[in-house]
Amino acid sequence: MAAAATTPEMLSSLMTRIASGEREALRQLYQATSAKLFGVCLRILSDREESEDVLQDVYVTIWRRADRFDSTRAGVMTWLSTIARNRSIDRLRARGPMAYAGSIDGLEIPDGADSAETLLSAADDRNKLQGCLSELDDRTQTVIRTAFFEGVTYETLARNMDAPLGTVKSWIRRGLAKLKGCLQS
Amino acid sequence: MSEALDLSDAEAFAAEHALGVLDARERAEAEARMAREPAFAADVEAWRYRLAPMLDAIDPVPAPQGVWTRIEAMLPANDNSAMMNKLRFWRNSAVGGFALAAASLAGVVVQVTQPPIAVEAPPSAPGQLLNASLTSTTGQPLPLFVAAYDPDRKALIITSLLPPGADRDKVNQLWLIAGQDKPKSLGLIEPGKAKIIALPLEVMAKMSAGAKLAVSIEPAGGSKSPDGPSGPVIGLGELSRL
Repeated sequence: MAAAATTPEMLSSLMTRIASGEREALRQLYQATSAKLFGVCLRILSDREESEDVLQDVYVTIWRRADRFDSTRAGVMTWLSTIARNRSIDRLRARGPMAYAGSIDGLEIPDGADSAETLLSAADDRNKLQGCLSELDDRTQTVIRTAFFEGVTYETLARNMDAPLGTVKSWIRRGLAKLKGCLQS
Repeated sequence: MSEALDLSDAEAFAAEHALGVLDARERAEAEARMAREPAFAADVEAWRYRLAPMLDAIDPVPAPQGVWTRIEAMLPANDNSAMMNKLRFWRNSAVGGFALAAASLAGVVVQVTQPPIAVEAPPSAPGQLLNASLTSTTGQPLPLFVAAYDPDRKALIITSLLPPGADRDKVNQLWLIAGQDKPKSLGLIEPGKAKIIALPLEVMAKMSAGAKLAVSIEPAGGSKSPDGPSGPVIGLGELSRL
């Protein structure tokens, strides 16, 4: 994949071309970004076949909605990865209330690892979020990270942590409020 | 760490949706609320982007060969044919929204009795009273717009059921799709408002049962495409006799 040579500017101009209906631009975007998005799907779904289905769905969605991409609100990679994550979670929920995705060996999150070509945020945003997350107490940090990366519900979190649902809820709500305060400061 | 106030209930719900901890039912509820409340949708989006830098930590995994081929096979040839596919699909579903359309029309008729423009009714006016309910093209077929065509007034009265003041950067554009013709723009519609659109004779000639009305989301000023909508079609309905 030619991802290494892809700059945010190139991705932006691909988005414009996709919005005007150019298939070739979508193909180039796929080449540049599909490995990252497949990684996101796999991380949440832990199932290759389902991840392939969702990945397909994600690019068809991008094709249809490229005109809604607003570069003043988010970078292209952020927008794409957010779609991939949301679609994966939708798929996860469609499995039913008892579904639980464990992590696959070899897909453990290398915390804070950067592989240069896949960065989707400005270094500032990343460092700031990282810094703010690390200011939360360990338990809150773990529960927010687990929720984010596993795509699991409150119910599953509570079961896995052997804690009452309401307690887990308030950990997360309080943690998110603190996170917002920290990010804004 | 700076002491943060608690999030409001609405923002907490938005943040939870963005984080992904809601179950299927709550998730659907959040999605519906996003469609209804632009402020809530903005909160969800802000939280998604706030959390997104965490995704940096996920390593890329090359997608298997063959996925791209399957994607390509699923792509509509262009936006126009995408819409025609939707049309074929929604033609069948439009019937379901008919009762709702008839119910909603009662409201429209009241507004029609006090038109801001006076139009004389020529005896030779072609056509019949027609109405359409334009329902959402994704998820539940909820009515988003109701339309009534009145040949005596030479006008189409369209009422947007969307919350007023939605996305300010985008506009809703109304299209007439009659037979094999390219979609014809009938103008822009403001969310939450009713509008009376005066129709020229050549357009009136195309207002017949079975013709379709569609609303797309477009950049300010309307679609830049000469062939029809350039943005997604959100509402679609078929004109039928009262």
